[in-house]
Amino acid sequence: MRRKSAFAVTTVMVAAALSACGGSSSDGKTIKVAYQKFGNFIGADELFKKIKPVFEQQNPGYKLKLIPIEADENSYYTKLNLMRRSPNTAPDVAYEDTFFVNSDAQARFLMPLDDNLKSWPDWSQFVDNAKVAGQAADGHTYGIPMGTDTRGLWYNKQIFAKAGLPANWQPKTWNDVLAAARQIKAKVPGVIPLNVYAGKGVGEAASMQGFEMLLYGTGDKLYDDQTKKWVAPSKGMGDSFNFLKTVYSSGLGPTPQQTLDPHWSDNVAGQELPKGKLAIDLDGSWLPQAWIPGGASAWPQWSSTLGTAPMPTQNGQAPGKVTMSGGWLLSLGARTKNASAAWKLVQLAMNKENSLFFYVKATQVSVRKDVVDDPKYVEGNPTQKFWTDLVSVTQYRPAYSVYPQISNQLQAATEAVVTGQGSPQSAMNDLAGQIKQIAGPDKVEGKS
Amino acid sequence: MVAVGLPERAATRRPPARRGRRAAGRVLPLVPAFGLLALFFVGPILWCVYASFTDIALTGAGASSPHLVGLRNYRQMFSDPAFAKSLWLTIVFVFGSAVVGQNVGGLALALLMNGRRRIVRSVVGGIVVGAWVLPELVAGFMWYAFLSDHGTFNALLHAVGLHGKSWLYTSPLLAVTITNVWRGTAFSMLVYSAALSNVPDELLQAAAVDGASAWQRLRHITLPLIRRAMLTNLMTITLQTLAVFTLIFVMTGGGPGTKSQTLPIFMYQEAFKFYHLGYGAALAIVLLGVGALFSLVYLRAMRKEV
Amino acid sequence: MTVASPTAPRRRTAAVAAYAVLVLVGLAFLAPFAWLFLASLSKDAQLNTSIPDHPTLRNFADVLTGDNLHALANSLVLSMGSALLTLLLGAPAAYPLSRYGRRFGRPVLLGLLFATGLPVTAIMVPVYGLFVQLELLDSVPATVLFLTATGLPMAIWMLKNFMDEVPISLEEAAWVDGASGLRALRRIVLPLMVPGTTVVFTFTFALTWGNFFVPFILLIDPGKQPASVAIYQYFGIQGGNTSYGLLAAFSILYSLPVVLLYAVAQRTLGNAFALQGAVKG
Repeated sequence: MRRKSAFAVTTVMVAAALSACGGSSSDGKTIKVAYQKFGNFIGADELFKKIKPVFEQQNPGYKLKLIPIEADENSYYTKLNLMRRSPNTAPDVAYEDTFFVNSDAQARFLMPLDDNLKSWPDWSQFVDNAKVAGQAADGHTYGIPMGTDTRGLWYNKQIFAKAGLPANWQPKTWNDVLAAARQIKAKVPGVIPLNVYAGKGVGEAASMQGFEMLLYGTGDKLYDDQTKKWVAPSKGMGDSFNFLKTVYSSGLGPTPQQTLDPHWSDNVAGQELPKGKLAIDLDGSWLPQAWIPGGASAWPQWSSTLGTAPMPTQNGQAPGKVTMSGGWLLSLGARTKNASAAWKLVQLAMNKENSLFFYVKATQVSVRKDVVDDPKYVEGNPTQKFWTDLVSVTQYRPAYSVYPQISNQLQAATEAVVTGQGSPQSAMNDLAGQIKQIAGPDKVEGKS
Repeated sequence: MVAVGLPERAATRRPPARRGRRAAGRVLPLVPAFGLLALFFVGPILWCVYASFTDIALTGAGASSPHLVGLRNYRQMFSDPAFAKSLWLTIVFVFGSAVVGQNVGGLALALLMNGRRRIVRSVVGGIVVGAWVLPELVAGFMWYAFLSDHGTFNALLHAVGLHGKSWLYTSPLLAVTITNVWRGTAFSMLVYSAALSNVPDELLQAAAVDGASAWQRLRHITLPLIRRAMLTNLMTITLQTLAVFTLIFVMTGGGPGTKSQTLPIFMYQEAFKFYHLGYGAALAIVLLGVGALFSLVYLRAMRKEV
Repeated sequence: MTVASPTAPRRRTAAVAAYAVLVLVGLAFLAPFAWLFLASLSKDAQLNTSIPDHPTLRNFADVLTGDNLHALANSLVLSMGSALLTLLLGAPAAYPLSRYGRRFGRPVLLGLLFATGLPVTAIMVPVYGLFVQLELLDSVPATVLFLTATGLPMAIWMLKNFMDEVPISLEEAAWVDGASGLRALRRIVLPLMVPGTTVVFTFTFALTWGNFFVPFILLIDPGKQPASVAIYQYFGIQGGNTSYGLLAAFSILYSLPVVLLYAVAQRTLGNAFALQGAVKG
């Protein structure tokens, strides 16, 4: 009978499924490491594949199980956090963006590493500025930074020559940047003078490469670590919105439809820069990843065509330049049954040799002092030293669980400004209202 | 086809079975399928209902110790202008895509093809169905490229002397609506072709001889006869269109701004970008409610026409 | 009001017009495919549609890796498994709904259809929890079971519509001989429903084939992930890294099995519109 066979099949399948699963729950001798693998962003995958045999040889009896999660960022965290909700599936070691450190510590997904760090000689090799990336508001350190990234100005030297601008361009203030853009607009028609990301289409790029690179150069910040409050509105915030308005309303930037395209950041690195259609780009250190041989948009001449300059502070105030950093943390799962073996894995993955390997594979900026001078570190990427030097002045985003929501409102506010739907003043006031609603009115202070 | 002509619908006679065994005999075959549905569908939906009254989250304090918050998620939702806008966009999208585009387009195609040469039906039908079987992600990317500034569509417009524009920027909702019509018309076309094959030719011919115009024949003979197909078609495509996510996500990401942020995109953002599972669950429940409302309207409207 | 009998010339005009419209519709439906094909043949494809200067099959050669074929094989297991299981569970469930009156059948059916409208992303969080509880995570058979559940409502409804088309008189003879309802289903109804079952199979297969979120969440081992997950390797994580040529080539490779299955199904069924019976009202 069909019904019986259907039942039989179902039963057999469930039974098979159950038995198939028995072995996969952690048996105490398996260390599971979860990380993201996406597109040609496979640095972590290559790193863990490389060290798997080493780890298993150094720790007899232990197996290292790699769990690469192949998906975009939101899907990656969704799955990672689902896995962490259950002790059976929680990875022992996981890889996550620095700005999740507070919310994941609060969710009790992470294990504090303070004691481990005291006896780890390599920790002294980490740049102080980067050490704080893994530190939560409670003062404990929950993750080891696996390199970082920095942001600044890319500019096309060929377009600069046509516009009569110097090949070694080093703007000192925002006005210098605008002046160069104006000169390009006047002398070299048909190119976009200056790209500053804005709007919800490009997502976090609008917040970090765009608005925050401006705001943190005004002396104001998005979050005050002393008062533990979000800062909105502020004078710097208003000035940053005004800068965006100047760029977009006087034809110095891309058109709003270009900027708001969800694939605009892809187009910038894949088309606009290589085809010489964009003169100045406020963007990230990782762009060469697309241009190196084997990259998605291989462009052998990139290093001779493009120059780099730090993004200046608003009026050239100290330290004269500004940059923001993101990057990845390696952390231990709060529920790991093998904390010591898992910690050994982190130490192995982040030693000098393997850090170098990861920095090169993932186009990361070094956070270890001893790696910077290695010739392999700058090989094939002449801009690497420039981006690494920026780490000394770098700043991180406020690592709080409401940040993604505030960032989303920030993107909406920049969108209103660049499309002309709202004035800088009204965009700032709206944003301040939204932040109050998200973080709570007592967690926000104005500074204007 | 298996059967031709109007099928014998209601089963008046029944297979033999003794009284006690009969009920069991009828219900038992349903058990495996409905058991599976209960386990994997009903259970999780009930969980969603529960979660919509909590502040459960994927990270932060809501992940380690969620609390019951009563109607807070729903209050937040109904006081949020972004939600109202999203709800409105969803209704416009469903109406434009499912009720008008797919439904009318599918009917028109089915009428046009009815009685045409097999080769034309096969080729045109094959292309239309090809759009339907393509994975949603691929379809979304194709249309993103098709409508992009230097894409095929603007190139075609240019070739005939018209000016293109940034379709995804200037009219995002229209763009995703048309894409969804492109993708979903095949289903409606199949439904209506099936229904039309059951409309007796003699009836139409007799009406034509009596002097009824093509429109009159359609209005007074064909449409009443395919009423049931229309109801099922509308219900199905409405529910499917309500849930469309990948297509919009790939093409516009819900933007620019929130101009194409339908409820599934809004829900995804809340649940998986801001990690507010509770709020996301409340949105899912509302989405189900919208589907139910549409269904009720159809059922009502169709019943009246009997 | 026009009172005209359908004379031959008028009919011919109408037919010509209908053919013209059909050809236009066909071309309009075809146009969006242009980018996919051109990009797949171009060595530096971007988003604009341009005919490549030097068409190349490099992209196809590059995406035909062992891992990708493995992912396609995984897709095949998941889709084939859930399509078969859907038939196996759906047919017995559809039979009573079709045969024993529509009194209890109608609300059940409406309820089922209603369930198909729920975005599957909405229930993945509890489903993950459920899978952890039952220790079914990372199990391909269990994932097949869940995918079957997501496709069942539509399948049962389609199968029921097909069964409605099979005249009940045929079964009556069997009942007289003492055969039970299910036996009649197996011996008499199902053989007459080959087109219907083919259709449901194709439909469920296509539905599963395109599903990203379910296998992504429920399977852990990357070696078990299907092509709908593998396609993400061609997207960029940060600016400029999307390889459009490879993405287009992989998309074609990825769509091919479903299109082929549809073509095969169509042939077995005789004509382009055999699918139609499945979706009758």
